[in-house]
Amino acid sequence: MKRLLLIAGVLLIAGCSTVQPWQKGNLAKPAMAFDYDPLQTRFEDHTYFSKEGASGGAGVGGGGCGCN
Amino acid sequence: MFPLYSFPFSAMASRCEALVHAPDEASARACSDAAIAEVRRIETKYSRYRDDSVTTAINRAAGGAAIAVDEETAALLDFGAELHAQSDGLFDLSSGVLRRAWDFKLARLPDPAELERLLQLVGWSQVEWSAPSLRLPRAGMEIDFGGIGKEYAADRAATAMAERGAVHGLVNLGGDVRVLGPRPDSTPWRISIQDPRGRPGATVAQLEVPQGALATSGDYERYFELDGRRYCHLLDPRSGWPVAFWRSVSVVAPVCVAAGACATIAMLKPVDEALAFLEQQGLRYLAIDAAGERHAR
Amino acid sequence: MSQSAGRKSASINRNVLAAALALPGVLPAAHAQVTVPNATLVHFKYLYYRDYQADSATGSGERMTINSPALYLLTPISDEWVFEIGAVYDSISGASPYFHTVLSGASGRGIEDGRTAADVTVTKYFGGRTAVSLRYAYSTEDDYRSNAYGLTVRHATADQNTTFTAGIGRSNDKISPTDGPQFEEDKETTDFLVGITQVMTPDDVGQVTLYYAQQRGYLTDPYKAFWGIDNRPDSRDQWAALFRWNHYSQTYDAAFRSSYRYYSDDWQVKAHTVTFEWAQSLPDGWTLTPSFRYTTQSSAEFYYDPIYDPLLGAPFPPGYLQNPNAYYTSDQRLAAWGGMTPGLKVAKALPGGWSVDAKAEYYEQRAEWRLGGEGSPGLENFKAQFYQVGVARKF
Repeated sequence: MKRLLLIAGVLLIAGCSTVQPWQKGNLAKPAMAFDYDPLQTRFEDHTYFSKEGASGGAGVGGGGCGCN
Repeated sequence: MFPLYSFPFSAMASRCEALVHAPDEASARACSDAAIAEVRRIETKYSRYRDDSVTTAINRAAGGAAIAVDEETAALLDFGAELHAQSDGLFDLSSGVLRRAWDFKLARLPDPAELERLLQLVGWSQVEWSAPSLRLPRAGMEIDFGGIGKEYAADRAATAMAERGAVHGLVNLGGDVRVLGPRPDSTPWRISIQDPRGRPGATVAQLEVPQGALATSGDYERYFELDGRRYCHLLDPRSGWPVAFWRSVSVVAPVCVAAGACATIAMLKPVDEALAFLEQQGLRYLAIDAAGERHAR
Repeated sequence: MSQSAGRKSASINRNVLAAALALPGVLPAAHAQVTVPNATLVHFKYLYYRDYQADSATGSGERMTINSPALYLLTPISDEWVFEIGAVYDSISGASPYFHTVLSGASGRGIEDGRTAADVTVTKYFGGRTAVSLRYAYSTEDDYRSNAYGLTVRHATADQNTTFTAGIGRSNDKISPTDGPQFEEDKETTDFLVGITQVMTPDDVGQVTLYYAQQRGYLTDPYKAFWGIDNRPDSRDQWAALFRWNHYSQTYDAAFRSSYRYYSDDWQVKAHTVTFEWAQSLPDGWTLTPSFRYTTQSSAEFYYDPIYDPLLGAPFPPGYLQNPNAYYTSDQRLAAWGGMTPGLKVAKALPGGWSVDAKAEYYEQRAEWRLGGEGSPGLENFKAQFYQVGVARKF
């Protein structure tokens, strides 16, 4: 687990020679956002939260849904 | 391939145009409306001629107390400060008052006493600027964003279009052009450079711009000639006199503000220094000197 | 260049372009950046959810249906403040997936319930690179009330290629079941998050997030406890590591989104979840996005299989009499299984900043889909379909 994190961290930083601001046009496309559809994310997160044993990772202070 | 839509409009005392490839007119218009709205917003906010503009508020307070400016104005003032330092004083947001000494319509040289008096009011180093507080210590001093307003508006307008989905298009504000992205077939836009000694519309060269901006500074925009010598509107803020090193300088940069600032600064420098400056900035340029010789990269 | 009075400290890379890029709004902002949004967004979406689980004893099945309209609004108030509000109403009918499907026929409990949830988030942007968000969420059902708070800070480096995120949150829930024994219990959850978002290339952005949550209080499902044997610890510590990568393909004009989450808690549930989406741009403003999600989880250590005590029979786990106060659950959510969700979304951009979208997904949990194959025995496959239809406007 710790090794996984280390590899991911190294990949993240190493994969980068500095990208200039005017090169980020593609990253500005709506489909490239991590939370490009907030309501869809909420629906799906809530669905999986109530049907699975695992949850969390993306935000804090979730606002419980009573899905014990 | 989407058709090309063109939306001409007038703003900032120039003929302007928003060009965009879009699936239909409604989407194209949505993009151009956003672009034009942004240009008008900046024009209104920074116009010297409007009573309610930020510029007027700043200038009215000259010689009095400091005023607080908003974030956008602060960013522009910081830009002015940075460029003043990088250009050894050639780029100076406080140099606008010198226009009072030069009457391009009457084609007259300035009164030396008047020019001397106005020079006392010029000098960014006198301006007390520490965000967000701005103070012009002497009455009569002015801040003038005219030197970068059009280029800044071109960039903001282009960004507004891009945020509405425009990919292939450009914004042209009286010759200051900001391109969003290449044409749909991936070829660059070809932007013509005005011949500095030709009639309006006569071109002397074309530069290919796939994305980014092109801005031109020239001695033909406002000038008069006296005894065989041309006096143009680009004044050296240190002497109050126009420069005559170049006929025009065009610069290509990722954003229009940078292209315009570099073009203006290069125009104010003698040939060798100007070329060294442009090379150091690492940008493409086409400069035509006083003799009509071209220098390019 | 010589030093002169009033100049800031020199740096090698100072040039006109660098100064120009410090101006606001001269370039479109990549989503990975911390910049004030300059458009108002309104989204409306409707979810229809239906699940099904066979009851091998009775031959019939348990079904739950949810109809859920939801609204979301984001609006910048000035060039520093952004306000967001969300609201959702769930209309639920049917039965929730029960403990050992063998028994659900006997004690399945029908639910007719409505859940309302709303949240508001206020964000302030500082100095062009930092954002602080405060969120409050409220959720209520017949038997449940929750108040949750969250504080999140994001800070980007000067080149806006790296963003650091940290968050802390707290939920206070009150459970007071309407069926069965009447009581009121509390549950408190405190959670923490740290993350880094990194622009790697002009076409790639990645994110690593570490998450930790502590739940304390009443964690048992009251209905399961009443109808069956369900007794859970009053604390649960959870960890998750989430890795996300968005890649833009210039060749296809499509965005490839992927994520992997590793989850582990002190109930011994461990899970791996991967998701993939391919958002393909098509002519005329259409986007087609096929998606796939796979998850695999181990069971909680106090989960018991449907093998019952030889004397007491169902629903009692073996050895129950010797240890009646131990932790037990037969909740399928805490069993070991694997689940897959293929999905397809279609979206169309319309003039005037409007867009519409529709998505269909099918989700199935099966014991034999667990990675490594050691799923809990005796589980009936759980199946669900969910559909979303949405409309959005950007001003």
